[in-house]
Amino acid sequence: MTKPQAILTDATKCIGCEKCVDACKRENHLPDDLSRSWKVRIDSLSSTRFTTVVRHDGEYVREQCRHCVQPACVSACPVGALQKRSDGPVVYDSDRCMGCRYCMMACPFGVPRYEWEKAVPHIKKCTMCAPRLDRGLQPACVEACPTHATIFGDRDELLAEAHRRLRASPERYLQTVYGENDVGGTSVLLIAGVPLDFLNRGRAPGDRPLPSRTWAALSKVPTIVLAVGGLAAGTWWITRRRMKLAEMNAEALPDSASGTEAHPSGDGAPQDSREAVQDKGSGSGGHR
Amino acid sequence: MSRRVAVKTVLWGVVGALAVVTVARFWRGLGAVTNLSDAAPWGLWVAFDVMSGVALAAGGFTLAATVHIFHLKRFHAFARPAILTAFLGYTAVVVGLLYDLGLPWHIWHPILYPQDRSALFEVAMCVMLYLTVLAIEFAPVVLEHSLFDRPLLRGIHRWLEKYALVFIIAGIVLSTLHQSSLGSLFLIAPGRLNPLWYTPLLPVLYFVSAVGLGLMMVLTESNVSAWLFGHEVPSKARAGLGLAAAWVLLLYVALRLGDLALRGKLALAFAGTGAAGLFWFELSVTALVPMSLCFIRPVRESRVGLSLASGLTILGVVGYRFDTAIVAYARPAGASYFPSWMEIVVSLGIVSLAVLAFLFFTEHLHVFDEPPAAELPPPRPQPLSHRVLPRPLGWLRGYSLALVLGTTVAFALLPRRVLTPDLARPVPALKAMAVDGWMRARPDKLHDIGVLRPGEPVPLGATPAALLVLDGDRDWRRVIFPHAFHEWLVGPNGLRLRWRRGEAASLSSTASGEQSGRSGCATCHHANLPLERNSACASCHRDMFSTTDLFDHQAHVVALRGRDGCTRCHANSALPKTRATSTPCLHCHKNLRLADSYLKPKPTLTGLVPGYEQAMHGLCVECHRREVKEHPDRYPAQLATCATCHRAPEKSLMQRLEPYAAR
Repeated sequence: MTKPQAILTDATKCIGCEKCVDACKRENHLPDDLSRSWKVRIDSLSSTRFTTVVRHDGEYVREQCRHCVQPACVSACPVGALQKRSDGPVVYDSDRCMGCRYCMMACPFGVPRYEWEKAVPHIKKCTMCAPRLDRGLQPACVEACPTHATIFGDRDELLAEAHRRLRASPERYLQTVYGENDVGGTSVLLIAGVPLDFLNRGRAPGDRPLPSRTWAALSKVPTIVLAVGGLAAGTWWITRRRMKLAEMNAEALPDSASGTEAHPSGDGAPQDSREAVQDKGSGSGGHR
Repeated sequence: MSRRVAVKTVLWGVVGALAVVTVARFWRGLGAVTNLSDAAPWGLWVAFDVMSGVALAAGGFTLAATVHIFHLKRFHAFARPAILTAFLGYTAVVVGLLYDLGLPWHIWHPILYPQDRSALFEVAMCVMLYLTVLAIEFAPVVLEHSLFDRPLLRGIHRWLEKYALVFIIAGIVLSTLHQSSLGSLFLIAPGRLNPLWYTPLLPVLYFVSAVGLGLMMVLTESNVSAWLFGHEVPSKARAGLGLAAAWVLLLYVALRLGDLALRGKLALAFAGTGAAGLFWFELSVTALVPMSLCFIRPVRESRVGLSLASGLTILGVVGYRFDTAIVAYARPAGASYFPSWMEIVVSLGIVSLAVLAFLFFTEHLHVFDEPPAAELPPPRPQPLSHRVLPRPLGWLRGYSLALVLGTTVAFALLPRRVLTPDLARPVPALKAMAVDGWMRARPDKLHDIGVLRPGEPVPLGATPAALLVLDGDRDWRRVIFPHAFHEWLVGPNGLRLRWRRGEAASLSSTASGEQSGRSGCATCHHANLPLERNSACASCHRDMFSTTDLFDHQAHVVALRGRDGCTRCHANSALPKTRATSTPCLHCHKNLRLADSYLKPKPTLTGLVPGYEQAMHGLCVECHRREVKEHPDRYPAQLATCATCHRAPEKSLMQRLEPYAAR
């Protein structure tokens, strides 16, 4: 078992040549980009573009799947079509996918893309070249980078390297390694001279791993089942017993207007008993 | 009766339109029919058909609990219609899901590949199980019909009634779970959902609002059935339901505001932003107004007051679902989502089918209790065996007509992207052809633009040369392209094109050519553009058009003699070396603008080329105008109008005029 791998991208070294995009397209056999609508810019990520270089504040920043250590998409997928491999990549199994697109909603970086124009669509995103890793190769984008702006290796070593660079030239870098702690850490690390918060969809998601937020609610399911089930059964038993007692009272003391305790809003006992009789005639709970 | 016929006729019309959109959806995919995009992966079908559908069907479990668990028998009149509505509602949810899922034939995969960390997995399993429970709860109503009066079915019927309580409790538990889990769906996105909506309490809020909505839905159903069938429900029972709903809504408001206050986000609600306005609007419509109405006794005892209150709550809770799933969910800047008419037709169509099914069941089965007050003869169900169809066939013809009409209208309205999706695809270039010919170069022009020094002869043109006829700009128009001449211009020994002016004269052309390491071919057939696309003609011929610019950094390095020259463009070495911080091209290239060009670049323009729109308009419109003015007899007057080029208002056609997409 290999140690968790990662990609470190240094935005200050990137010259924006898009060789990585080219290599990615070749590796994954992706067709030319086409813009489906005017609203979608052609050079952002898409189902035909797993990585892209965006110009931001004078630096070139490479966008791609962040391969979170505890990925939101993996925990969101109801059929386990997305899986986190122990060596880093988050990979997708189209045979399991049912196309609910919850992963697209869950990703804090808005990475997974969809083949909207196809009748049999799948989720498309960077795989960290998992098949290449299996063959002992580096991801295609890393191999293609002419300036070594993006490098590949053990996550721990890359983190150390990133911090070494931040220390070595503090004037060049913002003192943050993006992906070190965000959403519990990601397997794609970014360092830059400008803030990269624009990569977040919405606000910064914080350092807490996102799956734990869902699990906080979901882990209560067994409790709820027992509590609600027990409560319902108990209430049913109590109210039925009260009604029986009330009926007996009503028979014993026909003049008393006690009614049932459950709705003391003025309904007289005679009406109640009539309704109870009606219920036995037509309801689905009366025959026993 | 005529009311019901009118309603059904309209519903059948919508179903007709649904049929057309259904074919389009499964034939062409989600992109052709919906306005969904990577920026808005969930739209109307999730927010309305699935999330709101589940909430609207909450009347089933709310009433089941009221009547069968709390034994509040005076609400019994509501129980069967509420169960039926819930059953049909959940069926509609599943049908809506089949439209929304990209791979609907995998809808059963949650059973096969369970993934228990997913909120959606829990919702899927609960909805699946609850639909089964609802079918079982409703089965006795079907089985008591005379058509099913068989010994075996009677046995099943008795067994179902005997163990009804188990299923009722199971239904309540399952409903509690998935009504709340729909809220849990968004717990995963603390960054993406607006803080006014995001809270760890989402599942609780979803559950409480669903209970309140469930009660209000039952009231609405009783109103509608009173309008359609004349079934009256005692106003005391209705008022009781209204009061119960008011208390639940009060709890909802308290939870919503209390949660904001505890998390210290209450200030955001008073920040005066659009989100804050939406928050208060949603909360007022959901709870504040209806709750206040229902707490006033005369109002909740009047039909109008209760209808108003229940209608508002329904709108509000549906709005709450829309806000969390779409409106308050972060999208990239500039991306918007509004459902296409086809998405709306699918949502309406599924509801129409559900209502038609509801009407069918109520007409043929014993769904409503007889009105206890009125002494009218009870509307006994008509046996299925006698009359499945409404009596006079004229009605049936009316329904068919509506269905066909709906189909026709929907088909006529189908957008082009559904019928011929290829129009939106990039247009390939026309095939290039090679011909032999003479290029008649214009020495004056070449001298003007500085390719040739004054007096220098044109190198080619006297002998036949290979000419290409090619569609250089991918606009389906071929132009003659003298390849040999271009080779000479940019080739390894030429390099004239780039430093054709004074400072280049001192440069040894051969040395620089070797030094740069480029053969001139790469100028056009280069890998500078992503994915090794050729440079369009427009990259150099600036009088054409381009959205990009051709800036050869290496050539400039060579021309300006290596490292010393860097400061010519990158004057301030402290700044990052980008185009924005560099010396404008016009600083050195004084004659960027061609002498006889129609383009009038703005004085502030610092880029190498004018923008596409400016270039196209400058090139085409100027000439069109002049020609129309000079030769009114030869050209129609509208030659100079926008529609001459922008022929179709369709987006896809406009897009074809854009060079980047048209590649």
